[in-house]
Amino acid sequence: MGASADIRDINGSDLISALHLAQQAPVILGPNPMNASSASSTGTAEEYGRIEQLLLACLRTGDDQSAQACLDRLSHRFGPSNERVMGLRGLYQEATAKDRAALEKCLQEYEKILSENPVNVPIMKRRVALLRSLDRPADAIFALIQLLEALPTDAEAWCELADLYQTQGLSSQAIFSLEEALLIAPNSWNIHARLGELLYVSSSSGEDDASRLAGKSVQHFCRSIELCDDYLRGFYGLALATSRMIENEHAGERPSDPPVPSRITLDRLKRFALQRLGEIVQSRSVDDQHWASSRSELIAAKELLNRLAQAQ
Amino acid sequence: MAVQGVEQTILRDPALFYWILFPISVVMILTGILRHYATVLMNTPPKPPSTLAESRERHALLRGVNLRNHAPAVLDRESFEARKNYLVAGFRDGSFLKDPNNRGQPPANPMTDPQGMEAMMGMLKGNMMMMIPQTLIMSWINAFFSGFVILKLPFPLTIRFKSMLQSGVMTRDLDVRWVSSLSWYFLNLMGLQSVFGFILGSDNAANQMAQQMGMANPAAMMNPMQPGQDPDKLFLNEAENLEVMEHFCILDGVEERVLRNFAPEVK
Repeated sequence: MGASADIRDINGSDLISALHLAQQAPVILGPNPMNASSASSTGTAEEYGRIEQLLLACLRTGDDQSAQACLDRLSHRFGPSNERVMGLRGLYQEATAKDRAALEKCLQEYEKILSENPVNVPIMKRRVALLRSLDRPADAIFALIQLLEALPTDAEAWCELADLYQTQGLSSQAIFSLEEALLIAPNSWNIHARLGELLYVSSSSGEDDASRLAGKSVQHFCRSIELCDDYLRGFYGLALATSRMIENEHAGERPSDPPVPSRITLDRLKRFALQRLGEIVQSRSVDDQHWASSRSELIAAKELLNRLAQAQ
Repeated sequence: MAVQGVEQTILRDPALFYWILFPISVVMILTGILRHYATVLMNTPPKPPSTLAESRERHALLRGVNLRNHAPAVLDRESFEARKNYLVAGFRDGSFLKDPNNRGQPPANPMTDPQGMEAMMGMLKGNMMMMIPQTLIMSWINAFFSGFVILKLPFPLTIRFKSMLQSGVMTRDLDVRWVSSLSWYFLNLMGLQSVFGFILGSDNAANQMAQQMGMANPAAMMNPMQPGQDPDKLFLNEAENLEVMEHFCILDGVEERVLRNFAPEVK
């Protein structure tokens, strides 16, 4: 079945594959989406995971009718009081809300649910996301901290908190949150690269220990490359961070300081990153269709290569 | 003693096969299936935490363990020390506990603590599911079929197997290859696991495995603490583990390592 293969390599931030998946909704849901009883008898956990994915994809692509069918099926199987189903229903209502008043109504509903059961994790997360989309970042941060106080082992929530802090310009808090997420999932190269990016940004904001932060960002980019051989973002960040460090003469100020690598190492790292970046850009440009989802990254990498080539 | 080299022959009514061997096997398989479904029905999923403080108590320990296991891959010395001090202080003064005021008191009696009671009921139910059918079937076999010799194994065995294969038949001279009805029951009891695996799927409850809820949130459901255990003691233990931990970081020298492993030609 082609649909199941597609779901496996669906990428969360990838609109194209979400669109492909949503177009298969009638096939997956069957000829009669309202007839949920036949599905509930045969469903396995995997199948319902697929329906959940499909629900998200349908919402993103505007196919509200199929999304409603998915939601019906899930709540038929697991009951409307299942926490995860409640979270998904909240998501559906938010997505189909027409105006701000409707969103406020969603928020009130969440608060009512949480006053009944304060540890309803999916609803807590929905509330944070809703507060964020209502442009109330301070409240969102507060709610998220409350959630993390109770569930300090939730990497997803730590990442979201880091993102929120970063949008508020609180770099050191964002860095702390991402480190906390990494402590839970120490081998995720994308979080390593993201942490490197945050460190890079905060080192460029002119704080006094800029060289230390820049050195740490280089370390985290290196680690993400170590964990994933051809990670475009890691190489991009490495090239950017090393060239910045070379420009600003951070290197070799105090050789005793461990996070700051020597000038020679920086030079070599930069050339290595640029070389690999060039290779990746070349190979992915040939196979354009396959990498369609990350085209913007590819364009940014090309642009960086041009810029650094001109500077030399 | 049995005469060596001479085949022992016992005249058996072939009806023994249809009326003893076959029924025992069928009954054993059916009870296994029945037990599976009874366990699934009576199984109560672990209770999710009902307050935020309770959830924090459950996860704080995991946080300490995570820090201990994963700090070398992520943190530099400064942030490691900060986290370590925070967690150790929190564990020591009991601020992660669900109820800091109750600290130092002996753990609640599991008989009076409703949560502990529930867990004990769960265990009791599980044990009952195993015990009752076994007792019933064994007494059934003892009452109706004791003393029958019902089959002959097609291969020779040493004398040690006599107690295993011929329980209920007190005959010293009988060849070990003859199997009594009670022993056939025991063999079924031990040997049917793979049959259940075939019929019910690999994670069936007939072999006492816990059934997982399909849509449960695993992070929220997980409870690292057994009922009756004092979380305060666990926290103090974890604080000690954290304190003696020596910091090192695999990020030190990662630049040279990457260059050496991935780009030996870039000079």
